[in-house]
Amino acid sequence: MKQKIREFIFNELIFVAEPENFSDDDDLLEAGLDSMGIMRLIMHMEEQFNITLPDSEIDPDNVKSFNALEQWILQHKT
Amino acid sequence: MNIATPFFQQCAQTPDKPAFIEENSSITYAEFKTQIEKVATFLKKQQIQNQCVAIALDRGIDAATCIYGVLQTGAIYLPLDIKNPVTRLTTIINDAQPSFIIGKGPAPDWLEKSDSWLDISQLLLTDAESYLPVQVNSTDLATILYTSGSTGNPKGVALSHQALLNFSRWTSATFNLDQQDRIASLAPFHFDLSIFDLFSSLATGASVYFLPSRLSLSPSRLTAWLSEYKITTWYTVPSLLSFIALKGALATTPLPHLKRILFAGEVFPSQHLIKLADLLADTELYNLYGPTETNVCCYWQVERQRVTAERTIPIGDAACGAQLTMDNETGELLVKSLNNFSGYWQQGKLQSFNAEFYPTGDKVSLNEQSEFLYHGRLDRMLKCSGYRVEPAEIEQCINQLNNIESCAVVGIKDQTSGQRPAAVIVLKNNAKLAETIKPLRQQLAPYMQPCKFVVLDALPSLSNGKTDYQAIQNLFKKT
Repeated sequence: MKQKIREFIFNELIFVAEPENFSDDDDLLEAGLDSMGIMRLIMHMEEQFNITLPDSEIDPDNVKSFNALEQWILQHKT
Repeated sequence: MNIATPFFQQCAQTPDKPAFIEENSSITYAEFKTQIEKVATFLKKQQIQNQCVAIALDRGIDAATCIYGVLQTGAIYLPLDIKNPVTRLTTIINDAQPSFIIGKGPAPDWLEKSDSWLDISQLLLTDAESYLPVQVNSTDLATILYTSGSTGNPKGVALSHQALLNFSRWTSATFNLDQQDRIASLAPFHFDLSIFDLFSSLATGASVYFLPSRLSLSPSRLTAWLSEYKITTWYTVPSLLSFIALKGALATTPLPHLKRILFAGEVFPSQHLIKLADLLADTELYNLYGPTETNVCCYWQVERQRVTAERTIPIGDAACGAQLTMDNETGELLVKSLNNFSGYWQQGKLQSFNAEFYPTGDKVSLNEQSEFLYHGRLDRMLKCSGYRVEPAEIEQCINQLNNIESCAVVGIKDQTSGQRPAAVIVLKNNAKLAETIKPLRQQLAPYMQPCKFVVLDALPSLSNGKTDYQAIQNLFKKT
């Protein structure tokens, strides 16, 4: 799952020079993920993993790293 | 008249009204006046009329105090984006040559002339003398806003007191701002949208609420915040409004107090605007248009029944008393307005712009209702998250890296809104892309970072030898 999110973020939303050195805890917001990027990411994840992510949970804490994103998705996967 | 004067006049009417509210503090009109006078009393002794003073503070009450304090002494304020990489800040400071830089705490290490640094907390200890803003000529400069430059370096757009006053008066009158209004402010002060938040507001007795930056990444908390503070007026960018329309829980967070939203900076994707207009059925929506050099020169009040997903909305009719014409051959919009900039600030002084009409570089046409429609740029300028970005500035940064043979930057369309820069690069000495471009992170502002890189053996060129940007664009469409 994290690999799929990685691919989408690094191919579509932000560019990092060495993605293999970007850890699952590194800060995506500092790396350039912004409000437009978050919106596209959420729509993509909802479609890809067939889940609904509540608007009320969209927050820097849930999207700041790959680990945070995975946690967030797992909470909504039944 | 000094652009600070309307606030002083208003202060006499509404001394006890809150002027600015931020997360943990607020300040009334009368208290704000005292704070301004402390800064102004200190600065006045330095004899800086018509000189430039940079402000290196985050958006908030302290920065607003400095801006008004600088203006009161007849000096020019230059808001710095303290989130900019140090190299860009240094470039701007070296070009602007400010007499002083006001910040917080001791001078930062990167500052070459540390004796020009002033600590805001020290300034606020000054014994204030009460006096009215210094008389200025209407053409004297009030502010310098640095934007991306097509020569590869940032350039300062210099705006006069008259230009700001004309804008402030037009907005107050057109949008009927008054003492009951509560204005949300999110735009950083180096972005021209902030002129509304700083001046149109306090000239009318309204209160300004600084929206916490982190809420721009939490759409439903942002709408809850708008609701909690009963915000009536907000001037912002379409990308954020799209985020709120789609993910802001507006269906369950009614905003009955929100009288009007003004937006500018980029094209609002129509399908998102329709959504927003449906969810905020009673809020007036206005599309404002104009490059920093003219501030707002054109506007359209959104007529909901006329917005369709297939077409972009008009930019409308002349605003701020502007006179608009179109170049017959190119379709370029030309603007004559009291709002117009005085020229570019370069190497510590003004290079006057003396033409009557400012050529915007934007292609327009007229529709059946004689409203202007926007059709994009005639040159290579991009709009990224509302910021204008000159590909030449990014190219210059890339070309200065090691092992770069050549490069070209184009805009690729983002699905949700606006554009993103993308770069093609030709490398030397068998260099690796990742290693080569690593330093860019420290050199370019986040909205200027290319979102994609492609390595080529040579840049595609036209038969005349010039770079074929169209071919490069097409390259990114395929990837």
